[in-house]
Amino acid sequence: MDFLLDPYQSEFMRNAAMAAVLVGILAPTVGVWITLRRLSYLGDAMAHGTLAGVAGAFILGVSVTLGALAAGLVMGALIAVLSSRRRLGEDSVIGVVETIFFAVGVILISRNDKKGVELGHYLFGQLTTVNRNDLIVNGVLAFIALFTITVLFRDLLASTFDPIHARQVGVRVGAIRYLIMAMVSVTVVVSLQTVGLLMSVAMLVTPASAARLVTNRVGTMTIVGIGIGVSSALGGLTVSYHLRSAPGATIALLSAAILLVTFAVTAPRRRHIDHDNAESASASVPH
Amino acid sequence: MQLVTTPSTIGGGSLIVDNLSVRYGNVQALTDATFRVDEGEVVAVIGPNGAGKSSLFKAVCGLVSATGSVSLAGAHCHHHRDRMNAAYIPQQSDIDLDFPITVQQLVLAGRRRFLPAWRRPRPADRDAVADAMERTGITGLGARPIRALSGGQLQRALLARAIAQEADVFLLDEAMSGVDAPGTAHLLDLFHELAKAGSTLLVSTHDLALARRSFDRCLAINGGVVGDGRPADVLQGGVLDATFGSGSGAIRASLN
Repeated sequence: MDFLLDPYQSEFMRNAAMAAVLVGILAPTVGVWITLRRLSYLGDAMAHGTLAGVAGAFILGVSVTLGALAAGLVMGALIAVLSSRRRLGEDSVIGVVETIFFAVGVILISRNDKKGVELGHYLFGQLTTVNRNDLIVNGVLAFIALFTITVLFRDLLASTFDPIHARQVGVRVGAIRYLIMAMVSVTVVVSLQTVGLLMSVAMLVTPASAARLVTNRVGTMTIVGIGIGVSSALGGLTVSYHLRSAPGATIALLSAAILLVTFAVTAPRRRHIDHDNAESASASVPH
Repeated sequence: MQLVTTPSTIGGGSLIVDNLSVRYGNVQALTDATFRVDEGEVVAVIGPNGAGKSSLFKAVCGLVSATGSVSLAGAHCHHHRDRMNAAYIPQQSDIDLDFPITVQQLVLAGRRRFLPAWRRPRPADRDAVADAMERTGITGLGARPIRALSGGQLQRALLARAIAQEADVFLLDEAMSGVDAPGTAHLLDLFHELAKAGSTLLVSTHDLALARRSFDRCLAINGGVVGDGRPADVLQGGVLDATFGSGSGAIRASLN
């Protein structure tokens, strides 16, 4: 028990734990839609590209959160506009836009050496610098994102499964897609101090992917994903305290370990379920 | 050669397509398609791959840009909302069978037309879903993921979604592909039951023997409408040549 409680005697570690829990809740909730839409690469690209907004905000002396959000939203819009040309493959567009934003971020950092250390906090996360204001801002952002996803759940489901039918019955499929990009951007912002820009995609994709292995329902997938996300966040933070390792990387590795264990444990069950599905499809109700 | 049926009445399920053309960039997928289908008809739509069958269906539903006009139940469709009385039912190959969605959730998606995104389904919506599932014979499958359905059951679930949408015209894209013989027989029975109840169905198929045997009317497409009439009239001679070109000889032999 001491192993679990010792790290949280100080206020900054308790703040860090709350920040980690926020990421553990928000990232898998958004990540479910990223993985179902097979947009993990988009999440990775937006995480990297946010560097431009963070660096720009540092240099201008404005809120890093606002800078990161603005960069994410502009990236999302640019990807949406460029992808509308059929000849440009979406993966190519994402790669190009990511490169532009990441390169701008690197150039801005290289011209402002004195900011290097602080920016490193955002690249790799710096949980111990989380203060009450950060928690409030991140909490509000996470609440808005979670509320939006809950309210639009059926539209998200319909437009992800069958966008053609969704459009026919009045779902604004394009707006939903842009909304998901905005959610990814918010998730990256909330993850900045916890796991950092470079590893925020791990929290977006890994818990949701692990959850997908154990359920065939999006609602359950979200709940299981949150469970894995929060466990990884708190577990990783606790382990990193004792091992004196980087918290962000430890959290990312723990979530990956959970995914691998889930994969191994569910392998026989998945084979069994596939067999059962084939059997049940041929029984009772007409073909 | 084009055999045009004579319309009798304009019912809820009537569909009038006039000079409908679809173009994707430099590719002309469909040119000046003109035909009319009356309420209660079950029409087989035949043609080779790339003939424009899917483009025709999607254009009727307003899912691709098109020129020309579409009228449903005698009313000209001006806006996207006007076309919601027609439902496009995709081919199975366009469905991600691994997607974690239950049959109930799939059918409920048809109610979105009447249900704003933020509103919880009302009892009337749940009744409509239950009714659609009953009519298509999939009551009891609501909790199943679509992965657990056979090809025929999946087509029924997609039809149930269209019924829950309260569509009068169903446009089914290769509905029988990947469905075994008993499943096909059940689907055909269901098509005719729906037609008796006033719905209109256009079903694209590559199975010409089935089109001749089980449908009242056949619409041949190859870049436009090249034949329209009773299957026995369309599935022969000049219309088959116009539809399938050099492959028509082998098709004719297989039909005989």
